[in-house]
Amino acid sequence: MIARRPLTAIGRRALDGVDAALELGRVAVGTIVGALISYWRGPRRRGEIARQMYFIGNRSLLFVAVTLGFIGMVMVYQTCLLTTQVVDGRGQVGAQFARLLVLDVGPSLTAMMLATRVGAGIAAEIGSMKVTEQIDALRMSGVTPVDYLVVPRFLASVIMTVVLTMFGMAVAWGAGGLTGYYSFQINPRTFFDLSMVAPAHVWLGMTKAAAYGAAIPIVAGFCGLRAKGSSEGVGAATTAAVIGSSFAVLIIDFTISAIGLIIWGAGL
Amino acid sequence: MIELRGVHKAFAGRPVLVDLDLRCDRGEVLFIIGTSGVGKSVTIKHLVGLLRVDAGEIWLDGRRIDALPERAFHAIRRRVAMVFQGATLFDSMTLAENVALPLRKHGRMRAAAALADARRRLDEVGLADFVDRYPAELSDGMRKRGAIARALTLDPEVVLFDEPTTGLDPINARRVDRLIRELADRRGVTAIVVSHDLASIFAIADRIAFLYQGGVRACGTPAEIRGSDDPVVQQFIQGRASGPMETPGF
Ligand SMILES: Nc1ncnc2c1ncn2[C@@H]1O[C@H](COP(=O)(O)OP(=O)(O)OP(=O)(O)O)[C@@H](O)[C@H]1O
Ligand SMILES: [Mg+2]
Repeated sequence: MIARRPLTAIGRRALDGVDAALELGRVAVGTIVGALISYWRGPRRRGEIARQMYFIGNRSLLFVAVTLGFIGMVMVYQTCLLTTQVVDGRGQVGAQFARLLVLDVGPSLTAMMLATRVGAGIAAEIGSMKVTEQIDALRMSGVTPVDYLVVPRFLASVIMTVVLTMFGMAVAWGAGGLTGYYSFQINPRTFFDLSMVAPAHVWLGMTKAAAYGAAIPIVAGFCGLRAKGSSEGVGAATTAAVIGSSFAVLIIDFTISAIGLIIWGAGL
Repeated sequence: MIELRGVHKAFAGRPVLVDLDLRCDRGEVLFIIGTSGVGKSVTIKHLVGLLRVDAGEIWLDGRRIDALPERAFHAIRRRVAMVFQGATLFDSMTLAENVALPLRKHGRMRAAAALADARRRLDEVGLADFVDRYPAELSDGMRKRGAIARALTLDPEVVLFDEPTTGLDPINARRVDRLIRELADRRGVTAIVVSHDLASIFAIADRIAFLYQGGVRACGTPAEIRGSDDPVVQQFIQGRASGPMETPGF
């Protein structure tokens, strides 16, 4: 009996894990089906998507601008330091920076910022509804919680992540250009060079942004809906949402980059 | 007619309901009583699919419902409404929007019509002046009355009340009692009421089920319960602090 205890505990952990994975899958499928079909059929709150877009955008605009701006400055500064050590490669910095920004840094860093901010907000809101039985009350009112709570946030997040990514890239690009000009005397005409950015890069970058925007509310909504207990449970759900959605961003980045390499090959 | 047969329910390995049998007839006012934490709320949540049994059966009007998928409970929740213990109004909506939500979702009403109907119903429970307030701006008792109004919007056949009078002043508490009795007498509504309020229990119950250690310890008319020779039942209805009852706590 005593010897079996640890095994039972491990078994229960494993079952909980499987259970959580299935539940996450259900939330993901429910959200996507909801966004495509059922959300548009039933009665909805008017202006809900716009309201959520405003929340996401308003909460994150400055945050994204500051972060991406500084990252752009640091990246350009460090690259210039390196490229001026042996031979002068300053002429290449702008073009390479633009490519990297569009392909990966812009979407991924913006999404990382949104994962903390938007993910935490969604999980806290839905989680506190869960622990105060408001989710059960929604179910009693004939509402599917995923349709009602996650779908509008999902749609808003996909749109706003793409928009904020473009905005963040613009800020980083501009900040990088200024750094190059003031610290390393790179002519802005040389720096703001898009010759290295191919349509495939734009496609990949924007696909990533949309995928991040989709993943964050799904993961955060899932964490909120699983909140247990009281305010402590809401705190745990919020933490889990931040970790989970940041992690999702990394996994999606890796996956889409790998797919891009398979499709376009090493020339990307 | 509602029936629970041999229901078992445990949370994280800790049993709450153990082989619970309970039935409630149409048009009846059945009270479920018992100490805090005995599983009263858990019991009634099973009837609308908010919780699922580990073992046992639940029957509603001759149909077994315990294994139905979530989708199928949609239709059941139209007919069986619930007033939650914490008066769980949606805090992002005004009182009127709260009451209108079931009308819009279950009843497929248009937004404006649902809101107008919600206002009328809130007027009936004396909350006309507060329809545009958010739950955080209301008192506990107002929230409770709002939650009752919300549960009754679709004219349900069965209403599950989880402690409807707790936290209300005596006047409003007796009004809620009267409302429950009238629903049963005039409209044939079946009411299952979880309560600690001895005054309402003995005033309006048709039958009382006393929950103890995961099962129904005693079930009968108020007179039968009052005359019960079970010392545990006697201790509870007389509200004595010490006696044969084994309860967790201090
Ligand atoms: N979702 C849940 N997860 C884990 N345990 C739960 C859950 N819901 C209820 N319980 C446990 O089940 C037991 C019965 O809870 P329940 O809410 O039914 O009590 P109650 O009889 O309604 O008490 P009260 O009169 O205080 O409302 C409690 O010990 C509670 O901790
Ligand atoms: Mg309870």
